[in-house]
Amino acid sequence: MIEMHHIYKNYGNDVVVLKDLNLVIDRGEFIFIVGSSGAGKSTLLKLLLREIIPTRGSIKIFGRDIMRIKRRQIPFFRRNIGMVFQDFRLLSDRDVFENVAFALRVTGVPAKEIRKRVPLSLELVGIKDKASKRPDELSGGEQQRVCVARAIVNRPAVIIADEPTGNLDPNTSMGIMNLFQEINVRGTTVIIATHAKELVNHFQKRVVVLEGGRLISDQERGVYINAH
Amino acid sequence: MHIRSLFYFLGEALKSVVRHGWMSIASIAVVAITLLILGCFMVLNYNVTSLAEDIKEQVQIVVYVDKNAGEEARDELQSKLVAHPELEEVRFVTKEEAMERLKKQMGDRAYLLDGYTEDDDNPLRDSYEIRTKIPENIPQVAEEVGKYPGVGYVDYGKGIVEPLFQFTGVVRWIGMFFMVGMAVTAIFLIAHTIRLTVYIRRREIQIMKYVGATDWFIRWPFIFEGLILGLFGAILPVILIQCSYQAAAEWTQENIYFVSLISPQLIGTEVAQLLVPLGVVLGILGSTLSVRKFLKV
Repeated sequence: MIEMHHIYKNYGNDVVVLKDLNLVIDRGEFIFIVGSSGAGKSTLLKLLLREIIPTRGSIKIFGRDIMRIKRRQIPFFRRNIGMVFQDFRLLSDRDVFENVAFALRVTGVPAKEIRKRVPLSLELVGIKDKASKRPDELSGGEQQRVCVARAIVNRPAVIIADEPTGNLDPNTSMGIMNLFQEINVRGTTVIIATHAKELVNHFQKRVVVLEGGRLISDQERGVYINAH
Repeated sequence: MHIRSLFYFLGEALKSVVRHGWMSIASIAVVAITLLILGCFMVLNYNVTSLAEDIKEQVQIVVYVDKNAGEEARDELQSKLVAHPELEEVRFVTKEEAMERLKKQMGDRAYLLDGYTEDDDNPLRDSYEIRTKIPENIPQVAEEVGKYPGVGYVDYGKGIVEPLFQFTGVVRWIGMFFMVGMAVTAIFLIAHTIRLTVYIRRREIQIMKYVGATDWFIRWPFIFEGLILGLFGAILPVILIQCSYQAAAEWTQENIYFVSLISPQLIGTEVAQLLVPLGVVLGILGSTLSVRKFLKV
């Protein structure tokens, strides 16, 4: 589903962020991308969202060469990807229902459909009873669940999470990771960039390790290893 | 655009104006105050220009008919004046009429003229009072007309008229200069304020981009919002100027009757015609340009 071959990404002439990266991710996989800050994790995610394009190499997502996606097609491309952020990025002036509905509204889903799908999504992440609360009335874990609900509400093929547990305590983090696993079981590909060593080791999933812009390890049922 | 989308965008824009209440009030206030200053200046400028024009239009050329000119020569002079392309008004004043005016001007001492009123004793001359289409052309036209046969001499207040025209010209230019300056300032202030309302919502725009909203889907509510803020920001000063000018005009009419201000209806229309489109366009432009910056995600 995602194929990256010989990817290089430079900023300017000197700053090399990714070097000769090769990565193939299949439909339905659950994959951790780990590495210290500056290892290139964020850049990799940005490439997958077509926020940036590689300096060299080819990326195919859903069978499409992302270099060939025109600017005005990007929104339609992104509707296949659900994004979860470390800082949740919820709109503080709207309630939980509206925050999730937002993702459907902007893609032109009719109101009737929205009323049906948002509660389903909230139920799946376990916060159906918080629909009318505002984000600041929720705990960090609950806020992240809203963010996950928003990411899955339009049934994307892939969920990409950037440090989803970075702002959460260990117990809550475990809950969120379990949630991702549940989503994965339902058939959605899940890609998680993270620092959380214990969690990665606990889940025994595929682990890709980046170090200084290079892919140094890619293991099924892997563990978080440090290059140092 | 789909009609359903139009309502959605309008609804979103209205919700956003309410949701960001203080920011909206601040934006409307900035737009209103800026346009109010611009509008006041406009009213002042219009009136000063109109007064200057009034004074200018009162300047006329008096063409005195040569004493020795016969009936025929006078007729020819009249037809030449009437045919002159630059003249707007040609009025014949007989010397009897001129004597009557003089008497009126002298008032109580009109008896001094008693010996001169009879036809043959009247020292005054028949004359033509003429006005040019463009007051500034008076000196030229006077010189030209002075050479016509049958003309005794020509008077137009030489030496007074030229500085007067110069003064009204300067007044007009200063007015224009400040108007343009004010308008440019208004554009910057308003565009920046609207930009601020967009800036505090850059996060929202970013999220929209991540969940797959098209650029136009993001833009439209901002466009409507800019329109709403600009419109309200313009209507307020228009109403305020209209009301206060009405009062000012009435007061002036009662107390300083020799000054005639431009009619409130005319000012109201002129001000509205400038400020409302300006507010709306600036609102829309300000928000559209500001959104563009955050769409590059």
